[in-house]
Amino acid sequence: MDKGLIALSAALSIGLAALGAAISIGIATAKAVDATARQPEVSGRIQTVLLTAIVFIEATAIYALVVSLLLIFAF
Amino acid sequence: MPYLRDFFTAFGEKFIEKIKPGDIGGEILKAIVPSTVFTIQIGAATIRITDATVVSWGVLAFILALAWWMGRKPERIPAKNRQVIAESLINLLMNLCQSSGMSYKQAEKVTPFVGSIAVFITLTNVTSFLQIPPPAKNPAFPVALALFTILYVVFTSIRMVGLKGFWRSLTYPKPLLLPFKVLDYFIKPISLSLRLFGNVFGAFVLMEFISIVIPAILPGVIGLWFDLADGILQGVIFSYLTVIYIGEVLEGAHLSAAESDEIPDKALSSAQKPI
Repeated sequence: MDKGLIALSAALSIGLAALGAAISIGIATAKAVDATARQPEVSGRIQTVLLTAIVFIEATAIYALVVSLLLIFAF
Repeated sequence: MPYLRDFFTAFGEKFIEKIKPGDIGGEILKAIVPSTVFTIQIGAATIRITDATVVSWGVLAFILALAWWMGRKPERIPAKNRQVIAESLINLLMNLCQSSGMSYKQAEKVTPFVGSIAVFITLTNVTSFLQIPPPAKNPAFPVALALFTILYVVFTSIRMVGLKGFWRSLTYPKPLLLPFKVLDYFIKPISLSLRLFGNVFGAFVLMEFISIVIPAILPGVIGLWFDLADGILQGVIFSYLTVIYIGEVLEGAHLSAAESDEIPDKALSSAQKPI
């Protein structure tokens, strides 16, 4: 296979996934800050929910990272 | 401005010549392949002991020593620092378990496994800060941990709510969701292992790259995040997700029992109301 094409596809996969994950982590954090400002008394619970959500969002980016690493090293 | 462009081109060429990156891809490839430390011959079978195994043995010995030292001569009113630290760590984990829907007794049952998983993963990830390759960069390590963890989740939740309660949690909002909930138990270990592997492997490759290209000062500074903070975060997240998965099953069993107006016999002890 063409080596340049592999490099391009690996870069595209991680780049697009990072774009999506960054946007969604930004949205989630903004909403969590909003909620904490409205109800500071439940900030602990909001923090837990935010951490869980960020873990699941980040997982998508990690999958893309694994795919691009596979593209680079497996082909 | 042709002058500036010429200057930067010449500067770049000189710079690259000076640091002599050589075959970066080859060197990284050499670093990520698991290296065999020694082999054991049992009959006709040869067992390769890789660096991941040896490092995790070392970490296990360290944890054993740490546990022995921290649990030595416990007092009713802790006055020594080591006992205060150990008790507050366990207390943190107990609170996390109780806030995700377990009773005190159930939390007591779950805490030893989850705590040791957290300590083990955290310490194995942190070894990369000492230039020892972390075992989690070998895909077999996170896959084994995740498989073991998901088996533990299933068996513990069955022991807590009974088979009937587990079945209820599978069919909780609607029985139509059953295939997806079963599929969930196959996706959870994949997600757990890929998260650990991807994070540690990515950080390892990046740190190798940085220490090949710029070997001075910078690897130490960037390693503070990629080796220490990220490694500790992965250990915390792994154990946190284990607790969350058990809590999910308990919550489903409780809610569906509350809907059908009867209390599952074994879940009676965990009277905490799910939110």
